Amino acid sequence: MISFIDVLERAVSGPMMTQKEFDMKVFIPAMRKILEKYKIKWERKEVINTNDDLADKIFEAAIDFYSEVGTYVIDTERVIKFTREEILEAVEDAPKKIYVGEGPDRCIMEGRLPDSDKLAHCHSGSSVNITEDLGMRLAEAYARNTKAKTLSIPTVNTLGPLKVHSGAPTEIFAGIRALQNAREGCRRAGRPGIAFLNMVPACAKDVTTIAATAPQFGGRPSDGWLVASVAEMKIDYSSLNKVAYLTAWGANIGNEGSGLLGGYAGGPEGLAVLNTAYALFGILVVRATYHLTYPIHMNYVCSSVPEVLWPLSVCIQAVARNIKVPYISLTYTAAGAATEMYFNEALVCLLTIISSGSSVHNPHPAKGKETNSFTPVEMEFATQLAYACKGLTRKEANEIIDKVIPRYLDKISKPPKGETISQCYDLEYFKPKPHFEKLYYETVVGGLRKEFGINLYNY
Amino acid sequence: MNEKIKDQLKNAIIGGNTEVLLKNIDKIIRSKKEDPLKIIQDAMIPAIRNVGDMFGRGEIFLPEMLMAAETFQSGMKVIEPKLIDSGRRIEKIGKVVFGTVLNDIHEIGKNIVITLMRTHGFEVYDIGANVSPITFVEKAKDVGADIIAMSALMTTTMTYQKDVIDYLREEGERDKYIILVGGGPVDNEWAEKIGADGTSDTAPGAVELAERLILERKREAR
Amino acid sequence: MVDFLDVCERASKGPMMPQRDFDLKVFIPTLRRVLEKYNIKWEKREVINTDDRLADRVFEAAIEFYEGVGTYVTDTERVIKFSREEILDGIREAPKEVYFGEGADRYVMRGNLPDTNELVHCHVGSGTETSIEYALRLVEAYARIKKGKTLSVPIVNMVRHVRTASGSPAEVLAGIRCLQIAREGCRLAGRPGLAISSMISSCTSGGTTIAATAPQFGGRPSDGWLIAPTSELKIDYSELMKVPYLMSWGANIGQEQGPVLGGYAGGPEGLAVVNTAYAFHGVLVARADYHITYPIHMTYVCSSVPEVLWAVSVSIQGIGRNMRVPYYSLLYAAAGAATKMFFYEALANILTLVSSGAGVEDPHPGKAKIKDGATPIDSEYSCELVHALKGITRKEANRIIDRVIPKYIDRIADPPNGETVDQCYDLDRLKPKPHFEKLYYDGVVKELKTDFGIELYKN
Repeated sequence: MISFIDVLERAVSGPMMTQKEFDMKVFIPAMRKILEKYKIKWERKEVINTNDDLADKIFEAAIDFYSEVGTYVIDTERVIKFTREEILEAVEDAPKKIYVGEGPDRCIMEGRLPDSDKLAHCHSGSSVNITEDLGMRLAEAYARNTKAKTLSIPTVNTLGPLKVHSGAPTEIFAGIRALQNAREGCRRAGRPGIAFLNMVPACAKDVTTIAATAPQFGGRPSDGWLVASVAEMKIDYSSLNKVAYLTAWGANIGNEGSGLLGGYAGGPEGLAVLNTAYALFGILVVRATYHLTYPIHMNYVCSSVPEVLWPLSVCIQAVARNIKVPYISLTYTAAGAATEMYFNEALVCLLTIISSGSSVHNPHPAKGKETNSFTPVEMEFATQLAYACKGLTRKEANEIIDKVIPRYLDKISKPPKGETISQCYDLEYFKPKPHFEKLYYETVVGGLRKEFGINLYNY
Repeated sequence: MNEKIKDQLKNAIIGGNTEVLLKNIDKIIRSKKEDPLKIIQDAMIPAIRNVGDMFGRGEIFLPEMLMAAETFQSGMKVIEPKLIDSGRRIEKIGKVVFGTVLNDIHEIGKNIVITLMRTHGFEVYDIGANVSPITFVEKAKDVGADIIAMSALMTTTMTYQKDVIDYLREEGERDKYIILVGGGPVDNEWAEKIGADGTSDTAPGAVELAERLILERKREAR
Repeated sequence: MVDFLDVCERASKGPMMPQRDFDLKVFIPTLRRVLEKYNIKWEKREVINTDDRLADRVFEAAIEFYEGVGTYVTDTERVIKFSREEILDGIREAPKEVYFGEGADRYVMRGNLPDTNELVHCHVGSGTETSIEYALRLVEAYARIKKGKTLSVPIVNMVRHVRTASGSPAEVLAGIRCLQIAREGCRLAGRPGLAISSMISSCTSGGTTIAATAPQFGGRPSDGWLIAPTSELKIDYSELMKVPYLMSWGANIGQEQGPVLGGYAGGPEGLAVVNTAYAFHGVLVARADYHITYPIHMTYVCSSVPEVLWAVSVSIQGIGRNMRVPYYSLLYAAAGAATKMFFYEALANILTLVSSGAGVEDPHPGKAKIKDGATPIDSEYSCELVHALKGITRKEANRIIDRVIPKYIDRIADPPNGETVDQCYDLDRLKPKPHFEKLYYDGVVKELKTDFGIELYKN
């Protein structure tokens, strides 16, 4: 595979153009051409794609697309371009299996095929905002779920009375604090070696991330750092600096690249191609050892609508069948935590992900906007479902979600806000409060068993 | 105006077909049979508004809207001077200074709203990303803006929206501008807390809000 | 002393103003006022100040000046202000000693008084642009100078065929390479624990510095990292980021500044006050354990002219007498390496520093602009001079300097470029080539003894 230094050289010597020119004269026309050429069309007959040929076509389309478009570097206003051969070589050489975590918590993450009867990797947790006081207890709560093999740790954005500002020195303190709280929380849960794959969400910039997660503060190369692109197919030096640092260290790098439905990629077909192309971007530019996708609808700001689920499914399948890299899908629900609508949306998202061949990440409630809006119950739901639905096929999943989607779709633009963790969860005893317990076990768990034969706790 | 010609112009804009639009505009101008103002008001503006509405309804997406907007702008560049020559001009609904706040590089949300605003007749100054509070204010002063609109995608950058408002207060200029805020973590509670005039979760909602607030202001001024 | 989190808060809440308002409406008027109030005037009768009351007045003026001005944060366009009491508190509590290095190379640096009998600090090496093929040998040569107690390492700015740019990922890789060369060079010289007190010359932004000097690449908390303001009394978040990182690690922090004579500080009197104020900024904002100054003349871009020498002498004396913090200075010579003019300029610089009580970084030849334009002889000469001049009084130093300056001052605007290190120094055998050896030993060293009674290589 082409070396990272060569990628850096192209970042300073590639074709030069404004961002607007890249969007309007390169990206959009290329996407239109590719969709036309490969006749990518969503017939709207199913939400989860079951057509393997279509998935493979999308993979081919993504290769074509990425070889034409490349990656735009904001700082240098140049495009890093790759030939088709370089992209195919990268697909071959991309890491297919990675080690994360330490000691007994060490685990392997690898790709999985659609309709696979292999257990999906369970990634748990959330980088949603929390108040400082909850950091350690929440991390402990996350880590107590032994089905979760890796974690995302929450974002702390206050330091006592001080609000943390992006790019300010306070961000470093917040990052160090978030990391150390999380490590201690996991240690208390008896899982000191569990890997964090979102190092560290309190920090948005390269300098603050690198500083706060340095080894002397608890960072380990067996954790994972997410390197983000900018919409769409763009990157900046802040992200590339992280790559330089992490590759020199031998740490795990996560490609954080995902499109917006309705954005530059257009509709579902464009989103499918774009998200697949992001995997190629991730391998070549970000030097990713794992990948994270999180597509959302431009207006509803959630993932649980068919127009997002279909491209998500077909992209996962394209990647799973052809690139086979460790791949995590993060989805967002419109409804808030501790609501029935949340669990319906989450069920649909998770069945899409599990049957299509991705690793599982608990869907984030309330579009990921609300502070303290996440509970360990959502995480448990996701991991239990991953176990209970091991081997679920896409056809079987479609049958279920066709019944579930109508239950929430008309409320998608005005969803229930849900509850904060202190309203519905007891962090002292690590269990849902009675009203939430009732909702979860009777309505949700009971409902799944009765209606769909999915037994979350006795499979 | 001839319905056939009107439709040709409209379809060119909706289809993002600049060449066809310019050809048709050229033909019309040469024929001297139509008033440039009518061309704009009866064909071009309704077309671009339609594009905006279609986007809002999810019938088309950003690429189509961007291309339509580019086509529209290309047409306006040709036809608006003719209007000005005759001592007239198209009234803009209002002037907006729009940027993503300090230490935040995310622009797509902002770009979507800007494009939609332009289709609705706003004159928008896109000042890019990573914009300092003082730059927002100075640009607004420079251009005589009605609205300052700020986007932020992260909880740690949304705080800079407050800085702009605080700075305006310190300068005694808060009341001069309508302040709109938006972006991932921004909600009504935040907007109220920092003293902004409003926010919206969606792009069409943002444009509607801007239109409403501007009209209210104009009414009060009368 | 004011807590650093309070400083961070002031950075985001202090009075807001555009940069030009800070310069024109705050900085300049306040400086003018204090110069008038405290009657700061250079009578031009001596180069090295011998008037202790004047030095104390400069110090007092600087306190009032910094109280009126504060530090401007370019990212937030706000001013961090301190009250007089807070500044005085900072002066009292400022670290008075700093420990560098490990093992046998561990060393403590302290502040000194003018006319001191103590041996002042010797810093060797040069953070200037260097061909990568020379870097390792140069570092070894510098480290072999046993009188040198801390080190600067050459700049590596190529990563294979890719040139680094400030804040770029290539800079991260270059910085890592530079640090590893530095450690290896010191090890080869038998001084593995020698501290690099200017971590690290190849990196110019906070992010790349933190990344490249992380402990997994060889960074040690007993090294030192410099926090640089911009002219004058301004700082950005990129630099300020280093502070929480280094504080959390317990690493040594250095405040560096290069105030410009003829810039915002105006003439020598203004330069003296501003330079002194930087010490307060350093303690309060940068949380510095040690300080380094490198003032230059705006036109000649060197330090060896009387106006700059006087200003730096009176400022250092004021700081020495009233704060006694670890303090050294880097002064720039106009003439290039391997020229007699360079050695005279260096002599003038070092006489000023030693007699005034400051530590010495080897003067950099050719304004530090010439690639490969520094040699180990510059460092060796500097250290030998410091030792030979131990105990010299300002009065004695003035007598010498009055005879030295005329030897070069009329060529200051058009100095000789000198030679590059490969032209005059044998990097295999680590000794000067014959012609340079002749110039140095038979020319410079001998003349120092015969003309000025300064005997090098005595101890």
